[in-house]
Amino acid sequence: MRHLCKFALAAVAMSAALASGAAMAQKAGGNLVFIVQPEPPSLAGYLSTSGPIGLVAPKIYEGLFDYDNDLKIAPALAESYDVSDDGKTVTFKLQQGVTWHDGEPFTSADVEFTVMEVLKKVHPRGPNSFREVTSIDTPDEYTAVFNLAKAAPYMLSALSAYESPMVPKHLLEGQDPRNAELGNNPVGTGPFKFVEWKKGQYIRLEKNENYWKEGLPYLDRIVGRFIPDASTRTAAMESGEVMYGAFGAIPNIDAVRLRDTDGFSVTTEGYATINPMALIEFDTTEPPFDNPALRKAISYALDRQFLIDNIWFGYGKPATSALSSTFAGPGLYKDPMPNYVPTADIEEAIKLLDEAGITPDENGVRAKAVLDLIPYGEDWRRAGEYMKQALVPIGIELELRYEDVPTWLKRVYHNYDFAMNVNYFYQLADPVLGVHRHYGTDQIRQGTHFVNSTRYPNPKLDELLVAGAQEPDAAKRGEIYGEIQSILAEDMPVLNLFEMEFLTVYNDKLKGIDVSGLGAYGSFAEAWIDD
Amino acid sequence: MHSFWKRFARNRQALFGLAILGCILIMAATAHLFFPTDPFSLAGQSMSPPGQNGFLLGSDSLGRDVAAGIAHGAKTSLLIGLVATLVAVLIGVIMGALAGYYGGIVDDLLMRTTEMFQTIPSFVFAILLVAIMKPSIESIVIAIAVVSWPAVARLVRGEFLSLRNREFVQACHTIGMSDVRIMLGEILPNCLSPIIVIGSLMVATAILIESGLAFLGLGDPNIMSWGFQVGAGRTLLRSAWWVCTFPGIAILLTVLAINLVGEGLNDALNPRLRERS
Repeated sequence: MRHLCKFALAAVAMSAALASGAAMAQKAGGNLVFIVQPEPPSLAGYLSTSGPIGLVAPKIYEGLFDYDNDLKIAPALAESYDVSDDGKTVTFKLQQGVTWHDGEPFTSADVEFTVMEVLKKVHPRGPNSFREVTSIDTPDEYTAVFNLAKAAPYMLSALSAYESPMVPKHLLEGQDPRNAELGNNPVGTGPFKFVEWKKGQYIRLEKNENYWKEGLPYLDRIVGRFIPDASTRTAAMESGEVMYGAFGAIPNIDAVRLRDTDGFSVTTEGYATINPMALIEFDTTEPPFDNPALRKAISYALDRQFLIDNIWFGYGKPATSALSSTFAGPGLYKDPMPNYVPTADIEEAIKLLDEAGITPDENGVRAKAVLDLIPYGEDWRRAGEYMKQALVPIGIELELRYEDVPTWLKRVYHNYDFAMNVNYFYQLADPVLGVHRHYGTDQIRQGTHFVNSTRYPNPKLDELLVAGAQEPDAAKRGEIYGEIQSILAEDMPVLNLFEMEFLTVYNDKLKGIDVSGLGAYGSFAEAWIDD
Repeated sequence: MHSFWKRFARNRQALFGLAILGCILIMAATAHLFFPTDPFSLAGQSMSPPGQNGFLLGSDSLGRDVAAGIAHGAKTSLLIGLVATLVAVLIGVIMGALAGYYGGIVDDLLMRTTEMFQTIPSFVFAILLVAIMKPSIESIVIAIAVVSWPAVARLVRGEFLSLRNREFVQACHTIGMSDVRIMLGEILPNCLSPIIVIGSLMVATAILIESGLAFLGLGDPNIMSWGFQVGAGRTLLRSAWWVCTFPGIAILLTVLAINLVGEGLNDALNPRLRERS
């Protein structure tokens, strides 16, 4: 199967975007101050997928690909690519004339080094994304040939500047990437150069005059400011001191207010590669939740729309399957599954419980459990308080537990000392990257965070997951994931609540920030200020 | 008793405080009559302003009745205040009495321990304790008691120090009374007044600490309290002022009332102030 043609489409889309941009007459120059929250531990995007690193590092580093808002591939450091018929050889043609910020040329040797020596070894998700890559050939300076043990179509979804940044071989070779100076003093190929990091205050980037994309970037300078207090962030946005805040930097309640204020906009675009899903994990190995009927009854009894409307101020979509509906783009999402309802259906829940023989005692209680809540803020506590009330009518009595982050992580992913846990997962750009870790028995990895804590065993499902990861044909892959979703809707070891929508709040003077599906994790090369 | 009441009643503010405290006690005792359902229950339209949709004091972001929360929260606040104070007073009296009565090495040992607790800012210490233990009503009571007892211990030690060499105590020694009996039966009743006064004021502090903890999200998530209501409502302040305003007023009134009553008790019980006014 040949993929070269895809770029023709992408090129058309790009030129269309540029044409419409030209009509708006971008202005070069200006400073963009945006919110980076919390302060990143380093700027080593090749070591950590931590959110705040993602806000800064992709302006400095670039990936082989970029992605548009529908998760379609757009060219970046790779000008084109070609997948062999058996899916086991992927050839990337690199852009010519690209230089690192220190003047050295960017070549295929950098690609080989980055993937084989850095991402495959020290990146949290890299070993999974590049699992099948056995070697990379570099026949010339601008060609990199990935040799795979098995077909790995999902790999093409993990090549963004945020997920897999290309790093300079000449600055890392022979060192341990974990301790290299590059982490705090990044040198990339991107549109902005790192200049200064004032700890506790800001990170300053300047325009890369030698950027390989003609005429870009527009901005002279980008400053990422750290503002720990939420109401101060809102005030800074309102006063125009900062112009951009993503990943809920501005709390939803204030975002809703700013949305209705002149001069500010709120968008949910730019999170397609993140795909956050709010969910409940069950301990499927012990009573009461070893019984799937109970898990499904809870799915019927919870009013997903109520959670979205009252706690997240209308931002979110009720979940309808184990996969997020954004996977409809690559054809993997299957139409609404059974046992997922947008608003509560108490009667159906009670019917399910009665049929399963889970009967109420003299106090009307059918089951008791402790509900653990993800300690990431007040919204989740409100959600827990709601759930406790919502399950009373079907006779499930919950006790809420809210602990600090390390204790909670240890309880759920190390000691497995929980019954029911409210959480959220990034489903990422492909189910292999973000969803498989929930369900595969090979993902029951005690002590590793955010993997299969439910310990739900299903050999049939394991086979399907392996098949789904390797199937190069899109239609067949869709069928496999359809079957996976049917099994998961019936067994429901993880109950998906709603597709979360993170909010980006920005000043209307700021333009050109919506061109990449990476949103805030994008390069901002085409951002400009209209004043 | 009659003269005690007369002295207490001479202080008008104390009477006012007692009246408010009485109302709050009645509210706590009758909460289940007026609001029979769980105060966490989703009673109706969310964020209703006071007086609308059947909510006397409005509803919060999930449609919970603020008035029901205040009534049930009164029970939590008073209970935690009283129990924590009792525990703190108990520990403080024992430590202070032993230190003051025996002096010497015992005194040094106990007082250095007390000072160690006193050097840590009490609210920060309470946060730390609750964070280490699981946030629950028991751990909150323990945390408040642990940060509150040193003040009692120092006060009781001082009283014991001054009383232990009095003639009536020496007389007790002479007739061969045991140490425990002298401490509990003779000295303690003579320093009860300051303990009652400091105890009553500690109830107010305990309620404030509990509210502070709940505000920071360290309350028991299964129990309604005023601090929880204020904490949950603070993000809504610009769009639904009533959610945290009314519980805030409840905290203010209760703490004020307890402080006034404490002042009144001080006036009534402190012999040195008897001739005042």
